[in-house]
Amino acid sequence: MTSRRDFLKVTGAAGTGLVLGLHLEAKPTPGEAARAEFKPNAFLALRPDGTVRITVSKTEMGQGVRTALPMALAEELDLDWSRIEVVNALPGPDFKSMQTGGSTSVSSTWNPLRKAGAAARQMLVAAAAAQWKVSLDQCRTEKGFVLGPSGQKLGYGDLAEAAAKLPVPKDPPLKKASEYRLLGGRMPRFDGPAIVTGKAIFGIDVRRPGQRFAAVLRCPVPGGQPKAWDDNKAKATPGVKAVVKVPTGLAVVADSTWAAFKGREALAASTTWDEGPGKDFSSVALEAKMRAALTGPADEARKEGDVDKALAVAARLIEAEYSFPYQAHATVEPMNATVHLQTDGAEMWTGSQSPNKAQTTAAAALGLKPDQMKLNVALIGGGFGRRLGTDFSTEAAELAKAAGGGPVQIVWDREDDFRHDLFHPATLHRMRAGLDASGGLSAWAHRIAGPSILRSWLGGQKSPGQASAEANGALDIPYAIPALQVDFAEVEAPTPLGWWRGIEIVPNVFARECFLDEVAHASGKDPLQLRLDLLGHQGIVKFGRDEADIRRLKKVLQVAAEKAGWGRKLAAGRGLGLACHAYDGRTYAAEVAEVSVQKGQLRVHKITCAVDCGFVVNPSGLEAQVEGGIAFGLSALFTQITWDRGRTVQTGFQDFPLVRLADMPVIETHIVPSAEAPSGMGEPPVPLAIPAVLNAVFAATGKRIRRVPLVSDSLK
Amino acid sequence: MPSFQLTVNGRVRTVDADADTPLLWILRDTLGLTGTKFGCGQGVCGSCTVHLDGQAVKSCQTSLKEAAGHAVMTVEGLSKDGSHPVQRAWLAEDVAQCGYCQPGMIMSAAALLRHKPHPSDRDIDEAFADHVCRCGTYPRIRKAVKRAAGGVK
Repeated sequence: MTSRRDFLKVTGAAGTGLVLGLHLEAKPTPGEAARAEFKPNAFLALRPDGTVRITVSKTEMGQGVRTALPMALAEELDLDWSRIEVVNALPGPDFKSMQTGGSTSVSSTWNPLRKAGAAARQMLVAAAAAQWKVSLDQCRTEKGFVLGPSGQKLGYGDLAEAAAKLPVPKDPPLKKASEYRLLGGRMPRFDGPAIVTGKAIFGIDVRRPGQRFAAVLRCPVPGGQPKAWDDNKAKATPGVKAVVKVPTGLAVVADSTWAAFKGREALAASTTWDEGPGKDFSSVALEAKMRAALTGPADEARKEGDVDKALAVAARLIEAEYSFPYQAHATVEPMNATVHLQTDGAEMWTGSQSPNKAQTTAAAALGLKPDQMKLNVALIGGGFGRRLGTDFSTEAAELAKAAGGGPVQIVWDREDDFRHDLFHPATLHRMRAGLDASGGLSAWAHRIAGPSILRSWLGGQKSPGQASAEANGALDIPYAIPALQVDFAEVEAPTPLGWWRGIEIVPNVFARECFLDEVAHASGKDPLQLRLDLLGHQGIVKFGRDEADIRRLKKVLQVAAEKAGWGRKLAAGRGLGLACHAYDGRTYAAEVAEVSVQKGQLRVHKITCAVDCGFVVNPSGLEAQVEGGIAFGLSALFTQITWDRGRTVQTGFQDFPLVRLADMPVIETHIVPSAEAPSGMGEPPVPLAIPAVLNAVFAATGKRIRRVPLVSDSLK
Repeated sequence: MPSFQLTVNGRVRTVDADADTPLLWILRDTLGLTGTKFGCGQGVCGSCTVHLDGQAVKSCQTSLKEAAGHAVMTVEGLSKDGSHPVQRAWLAEDVAQCGYCQPGMIMSAAALLRHKPHPSDRDIDEAFADHVCRCGTYPRIRKAVKRAAGGVK
């Protein structure tokens, strides 16, 4: 864990009110001590007119950071919420760590943002006290005003100039939770009014004077290149301005998106491809390789005791193979970016989860220094990890270079999105468990075989952390088992890979929690009781770099089971199933699914979720993440990407059956109150949906489903 | 280039474009009304839903020729200030997450409630059968439609 020290300094010029920059200094690593690096991560500007601008350094993609992050600052500063303006940070020297992922936005900014608010408040109070000639403790603050002992009242805007001349307190005291007015309350999304009126601007909505639109014709096989083409028909398409070669394919530049799509269609008919090294890749061949890797050599992710011996002497051996497919992010807003090349630099507008990387890679593509590339982070119409990638923003920069002239926007269509995602890869899981003579779980072995996301992300390099990254969710199995081994056998694939909401934890927890259910049934134990027994009396347990408080996990499991009515009698064909996990050792969640299977048709009626993610900043936002996380996890029970002749078989929503409104179960969220610092909620609900549902399917039907996606006739 | 006339959010507009151009791109690229979203272009995600003479249609599957001479309403035309009952219900239930699919959802909700002021759960299921929300705002959409029930003229 990086420990951080907070620095605040007044950065505003005279006459602009109080501008407080908040700087985070990462603890220097050995050898770096002399080069203290300042990492600003939030800006606050109080204007003389009393309005307040809060700059958010994390990207909004529906998880509510443009609401939750300002809440933390506004709370300590006692701001009037209705007078806040929220703007997105620009990557650069002031904001060097804008990457948004891993469910870390609130936890990484919680302390610094509150301290920024508290420091500003203290300075405003000091300015008022000096003016009124009273002591500091005679003043209080409320909704943007400092109030004095004899009815004095001054707005923050009126005090900003004077406050800016005062020293910045180093370690301002923070409020107690009992004093909160905003934090912990249900705060509607800051961008709600703009969204419901159609005024919210996503990357694809950016319109600049003289803007052109472009579509890129890419090889259907990732990594392939055009061999020969005739662009006459494309150029003759009304509205098409140019056809230019870019590193990812052939770009058709036009005066509207539709003209670019039509021109591209004409170009596709006359283009032949060199499909590259991935041209023969297929899901069938990959699966055979993965199955072979289930018994070959592997990289160890965790080892406790001697598993081979424990399995050999077990009174009973239980074995199963679990399978999870490739998946797509399928954000509803397709990838896009707009670039305007200017004489002394360039400007880009795009929805990026990695704004710093998007800036530096686009600048490099254009031969510019990063500070010559102004990158405006737009609202994101779905991220889920897809927009951690910079492929689309770099492509737009390459196009601007090739096409020249004014602003140009690249828009992907749905097929582009399905063919050229940074995919979540398939995995096979070999699960083995040993039971001792009294039915106790004595050994657990989990072998994961599949392509490595981390290797793909690192440009083909194998990192020492590869096995533990790919085994996340498997290696941190929270149950006390005397002999335990988790390993990862890499199987290479030529497809671009990336992280997806819930990352490797989704398939790994699916295999783990379903297989544990098998163990429960095999040993004649109730699945809840077996979990409670195996969680036992453990306290804080360390797994690699993470540690988890098993007591908190046990509590959420008990709450979810109790609220869902675990153990009650159900009608025939109906069942309850459960799953739990301590996500990255920080967020504790348990889900109980209630399902029915009638004539082979699965219906998920309800999912009861209990969570402990520390202090809850915004319960409305938390519940939205539970509802959305479960929808995402549940969709993955039905969707898959398969490969044939190097290309995806699926090309759109029509063959990627995401959960729709009619399929959505009732979601009941129970927050287990906690005084701990907030952790994160974007991903933790996702991985539990599939195992909870499939365990419920077993309870309802006696059918054990070990393969995702669930195909409809497997329940008949 | 042929010329077509259509009424968009109460205003008569003349558009010079190919007859087959989807209404979606006329709205977004020609008229600058970007509230209507492009999600799939295949009629299966509902993000581009607008009203054509009061009926919910997918603007990516509606050509300029088909829209010509008719009244088109987009999310921008639903109210001047976000005061349409569906918009108010959406805010009250804090529905939106990323928000991208929401204009299409809101247009479908408004059309549903105009025709069926008190829809059943099954009516709601059917009205949103062609809509995708990857963020999973579905439970709140259902609540918001019920909250707005009876209030749409």
